[in-house]
Amino acid sequence: MELRNIAERFPKLFPMIFRDCSFRLITNKLLWVLVAILMLPCVLGLVVYYEFADDRLSENVDGDTVYYTDDGSLLHENLREMFLDLSQFFGMGFIALLLGIMFSSELISEEYNNKTMQLFRTSPIHPLEILTYRYLSGIITGIILLGLYSTIFYIIVMMGSGIHGIMEELWLLVLVIKIILLSWIGFLSIFCAINVYFERPYLICFIYWLLWEQIVSVQNYQQLTLSHYINSITYDALIDMKWNVNASDYGLVNSNNDTIATDPLLATLVIIFIALLFLFIGSRGIAAKQF
Amino acid sequence: MNAIIFNEVTKNYGKVQGISNVTLTIDSGVTGILGPNGAGKSTTMKVLLGLVRPSIGSVTVNGVNPFDDLELRRKIGFVPEYDCFYEHMSAIDYVSYFLMIHDYDRDESIQMAKDSLIELGMQDSMHRKIRTYSRGMRQKAKVARATAFNPQILVLDEPFQGADPTTRHLLMQKIKAWSDEGKTILISSHILHDVENLTDNIILINNGRVIASGDRHEIRKLMSNIPIQIKVAPVDSNKMRPLLKRMIDESWITAGRVIEDEGEILLETNESNKFYTELPQILEKEKIIVKKIVSEDDSLDSLYSKLVEGKQWN
Repeated sequence: MELRNIAERFPKLFPMIFRDCSFRLITNKLLWVLVAILMLPCVLGLVVYYEFADDRLSENVDGDTVYYTDDGSLLHENLREMFLDLSQFFGMGFIALLLGIMFSSELISEEYNNKTMQLFRTSPIHPLEILTYRYLSGIITGIILLGLYSTIFYIIVMMGSGIHGIMEELWLLVLVIKIILLSWIGFLSIFCAINVYFERPYLICFIYWLLWEQIVSVQNYQQLTLSHYINSITYDALIDMKWNVNASDYGLVNSNNDTIATDPLLATLVIIFIALLFLFIGSRGIAAKQF
Repeated sequence: MNAIIFNEVTKNYGKVQGISNVTLTIDSGVTGILGPNGAGKSTTMKVLLGLVRPSIGSVTVNGVNPFDDLELRRKIGFVPEYDCFYEHMSAIDYVSYFLMIHDYDRDESIQMAKDSLIELGMQDSMHRKIRTYSRGMRQKAKVARATAFNPQILVLDEPFQGADPTTRHLLMQKIKAWSDEGKTILISSHILHDVENLTDNIILINNGRVIASGDRHEIRKLMSNIPIQIKVAPVDSNKMRPLLKRMIDESWITAGRVIEDEGEILLETNESNKFYTELPQILEKEKIIVKKIVSEDDSLDSLYSKLVEGKQWN
């Protein structure tokens, strides 16, 4: 089956596969455990808001209420750092990673466990279609879920600084959603490929993330990791937003302390290339799998 | 003609041998594949479906390798032995889902799925979630999925498993009808009687090797080294022992015994033609009237016992 045929079948096949996959993802109990964990900082944000809302200093500037801290600095500049720090662990960090592993397992590994993959292998569908439709379903569901979560979390954290603060730091929310999208594009393809080849995907995905992304990414060979490119994009965007950050804050330095951040456009292209590469590797795995 | 050709196919799973040196040709009509658990029936089916690649040898279905050829998959319907459902779907969604993969559009798929399910008697349950189905309904849903697109080749792995008598009868009728349409149907079943009702054309597999294939009556005739057992029941049960004594005097009778409970004597011979020619003359001479002369030896059950289980004397 040629790539052209695959493209022609996409409008017909993808919606029905997406419907099935997204249903399976949102009815997975583990998803709701992770969502509950994701909601913890939201609850914390609400507690902090009601605890300190009366202690804020405010000033009316051109009809907007601008809030300040006790030391006179802009409150939204403090809150934005809290939002980004917490997001880097929850919405775009470790918890999102666990969500990605769970998604890939439900989309690929469960098909093997339920033996439905054998039905696909005896049906006229190309392995690339099998994997890509599931991958895209995971990306869309994940982005909707984490995008919505990040927006809610952003509003909860930033509402302490009023409408002015929320509007002022809106680009930060856009950046977080962009990073989630790019992380998912890269990581989900790797996780899906791992699910094709290994029988214990949860463990292998986690080992990959821990050993490869966390240990190699702080060394001189960090260009071999996805984290490097994601951090490069984050770092560059924060510099553009006039944040006071250093390359070392994102581990983008080598052993000589030279900045080795990659250009964001190149980083984006590398992430997309990695995604395509692992989709191809995964589809070869499905084609070669023996049951 | 949908020819399935196995050419000296061996499939190993590590050190375990799935099938060994299997050479077969399967043409249109129903072919039963029989053998005990672990004999290699499922491996044979998987090789022909392209789910596993032979370690040695080659398989061709309609002249192409089933492992690589996507177009061939449009012509093969597969009913697996195991459950393979999306439990949250209804049967109609499940069948139409796979029909859309066969390039039918959505409305067409739903209509075809509906027709196929109604044909299998699922009109009342096809909109219910599969997770609520009984074993028989699940079996029908699997068959509907495999047959809705009218494949030329059907591979049915234990299709009667868990089916109630009504479902079994219905499936049997459908299989006969599909066979009459010229489809190639390969069916495995533990229930020999079911296969016997469907076809005389069988493949017997044991320990990964094909021990016999072809028409079961022909196979039996070729087994000249294995004696045939024939039961003879005199009207007068007092004549059983004199008849047995008389029969074992003949050189062509190799063994015999009385089965008191059934009022029969069981005779074993290597020369069935001679037996059937000579016996009436002996009975006439001895003035013994019999009510039954029967050999169950070319039944599939008997053939299976002899070839697979090695039983020769019950």
